[in-house]
Amino acid sequence: MTSRSQNTSYIAVPDKRGNAKVSRETISAVSVAVLCVVILLGSRFISPSLGSWSQVETVLTLGSFLVVLSFGQGLVILSGGLDLSLPALITLGGVLSTAWVGAGNPDALFLLPLVLVGCGLVGSFTAVGVVWLKVPPFIMSMATSIMVASATLGMTNGTTRGAAPELLTDLMKSQIAGVPASILLLLAFVFFGWVLQARSVFGRHVYAVGTNDQAARIAGIPVTLTQFLPYVISAVCAGFVGMMLVGYSNGATLRMGDNYLLPSIAAVVIGGSSILGGRGTFLGTVGGAILLTTLGTVISAIGLNFGLRTIIEGSIILIALLVLRDEFFERLRAFRRP
Amino acid sequence: MLISGACVPAISEGLELSVVRVGKSYGATVALEQADINLRAGEVHSLLGENGAGKSTLVRILAGAVVPDCGVMHLHGAPYRPMSITEARDQQVSTAFQELSLVPNLSVAQNLLLPRIPKSVFFISSAAETMRRASSMLARYDLERIDPAIEVSSLPLADRQRLEIVRALENAGRVLILDEPTASLAETDWLFGQIGSATDRGVAVLYISHRLAEVREICQRATVLRNGRTIATVSLKEASNDDIFEMMVGRRDDHVRKHASSALKDAAPRLSVKSLSNGVLVDASFNVRPGEILAVAALEGQGQRSLFRCLAGLEPAKSGSIEIDSREHSISSPRKALKAGSGIAYLPEERKTEGILAGLSAATNIVVPILSTISTARLVGQNAEAEAAGPEGAKVELSERYLSFAIGDLSGGNQQKALIARTLATGARTLLLFDPTRGVDVGTKQAIYSAIRAFAASGGSVLFYSSELPEIVQLADRCMVLYQGKIVETFEGSAIDEQGLVAAMIGHRATARLRAMQ
Repeated sequence: MTSRSQNTSYIAVPDKRGNAKVSRETISAVSVAVLCVVILLGSRFISPSLGSWSQVETVLTLGSFLVVLSFGQGLVILSGGLDLSLPALITLGGVLSTAWVGAGNPDALFLLPLVLVGCGLVGSFTAVGVVWLKVPPFIMSMATSIMVASATLGMTNGTTRGAAPELLTDLMKSQIAGVPASILLLLAFVFFGWVLQARSVFGRHVYAVGTNDQAARIAGIPVTLTQFLPYVISAVCAGFVGMMLVGYSNGATLRMGDNYLLPSIAAVVIGGSSILGGRGTFLGTVGGAILLTTLGTVISAIGLNFGLRTIIEGSIILIALLVLRDEFFERLRAFRRP
Repeated sequence: MLISGACVPAISEGLELSVVRVGKSYGATVALEQADINLRAGEVHSLLGENGAGKSTLVRILAGAVVPDCGVMHLHGAPYRPMSITEARDQQVSTAFQELSLVPNLSVAQNLLLPRIPKSVFFISSAAETMRRASSMLARYDLERIDPAIEVSSLPLADRQRLEIVRALENAGRVLILDEPTASLAETDWLFGQIGSATDRGVAVLYISHRLAEVREICQRATVLRNGRTIATVSLKEASNDDIFEMMVGRRDDHVRKHASSALKDAAPRLSVKSLSNGVLVDASFNVRPGEILAVAALEGQGQRSLFRCLAGLEPAKSGSIEIDSREHSISSPRKALKAGSGIAYLPEERKTEGILAGLSAATNIVVPILSTISTARLVGQNAEAEAAGPEGAKVELSERYLSFAIGDLSGGNQQKALIARTLATGARTLLLFDPTRGVDVGTKQAIYSAIRAFAASGGSVLFYSSELPEIVQLADRCMVLYQGKIVETFEGSAIDEQGLVAAMIGHRATARLRAMQ
């Protein structure tokens, strides 16, 4: 080695290697949002009645069901689980609110929160099976689903009774200052969901547990509780979706939740979350839910049948899963460089 | 010439492989910014640098496993740009990887001849021919004692490493790359002999090792990487260890030797373990005082794992008691350990599987045990996390700009710093550190040592296990030696020396004392 003055030049070299500015979550959230706008504007070419403001309102109102539902599903997936009992819980929430409360019965409105508590208990049942008895999530939640659906069927003897409570019809159909109440509800819920998932201690714990439950346990996180709560939250959300649907369509049916299982998972995956847990954002999920709803309304507006819609949904999930793999993002970044 | 910068020396020096301004990014992080290196025919050239300096990336580029984003490479004067390991091998550049690339459930012979297993009629591989060629290959490299017919998974790790090296030697006509070849080799005679005969044939050897003594023994020149750049290429004869350390780390080694113990001799013990038994561990009793650094020395599997996991709440103790500040606590989970009295925080053994939360930021990783404390009404933002994580990271010299990175994208050394910062952040007054410097480079080690010392000096208690004896000698106030699950001997202060520890670790003293008693 030569002199000190030469040595100091080694010290002067700073570490300039940087972090990539955009994360994969941001990329998928932005591309989903762009896709929504493109589809809405593009649908004008199919029919002039599409792509209007009133269609946007419809999409947001219909989308609010899926947003609320996939918030719960998203939390469960983020924590490393999966909830297949949502359709049964939607039906349970809907059927109970028409049967227990019904129309023209303002004295019984206190029963609505009780319906949500009931749904939460069903969610805890699933959680006990998954967290303590270590039953694989899809089997446990499927079992819950079958039990709840059968119980609902037995309770109603096959026909649902009662009509929608006025509170719920107002919630879904009235306007506040010219804006549909359902859209305001949606905005409020999105804010609430974002805070809970991205800005709360509980949300951070869910990310940690979903990433690696063993490491989370060693770090001193209450792993059991953190795995337990998402199922409860998810069940309460599903029950609430049942109520929203009752308000929207003025009644409950025994099959009202059936078409929501696949979309609830699809919205989460399209929004950029990992199906294995630990990764994803709620805003991405919101984008995924709105995108699916937009597609759905366009498909039914141009008169394609329901079967085709399911096929398209299935293909979108598959494409999202393929595209969201890390290698794809690697290649995308490498491509931009000369 | 001592320092050759980025410019390429003349071909006349026997230049075999030249690499100019090569760079590579992996998604979120730039692993290699600008590397230059020149290998001469017949020389053994060392590649030095801290963890995360970009060594492995450069090796993977040279080996053909990774295609660089930019830069030029020439092999023997012709452009060299391998798209795969096979392509590199076809051009006679061959690599023995650190994470061995052998297929465990195939035989030694099949592994050696892959991907060109001899075929007989109908393309069925010929077992006899494979066997014959493999044994002649083993004989050529003085490894006749290895049976070519047995499965690789049944071989000890050292022999698997030798096979990996043999396979690389066989294909290295021009350049041989050895990535940490001595990681699981106890003796280096065989390896150095093989390297010698390769260089006699004019092969250029790139030798990567953390062990500087070894590098000095066999290499002529060294290229130092730091932060993804080539800092310099030096002749090893003329560079001192301090010079090299400075080039690697960016500052001089402060030569911290044995420090004054900060243990409070008369204080009541902070942690008192009484006849703890669990798994291999039998009847362990000891105290750790405030301000004391107590080390555990042992060979693999002598009960140290049970001891640490028990104290951390990961395994229930079969018998015995644990007292913190003279009060008995039952510790049934790491969460309970943190909350027991003045608290016990545990640094796990396996960084990847038990430590880091890969997708989350380094800041979140540091503050994850204390999120509730730093939150406002159970809400917590990235700023609050960075604010709380910053000072803890500074204690282990974790650069502030890494705080926002996903921890999985950081180098092993920085991950380890973040995990140590996490144990400090918990506010626990007792730290259990299981091999705190496993697989990290010299610079990171020094940072971790100073953090541990500073913690002890502030009155904290540390119990640590280390597989590296110099570390124990440098750091510990006291050291217990575990042998077959028992504490066979305890050394104190200046009595802690490597020879004494080794003798106790292999059970020499224990048996000697037994004999004396009889």
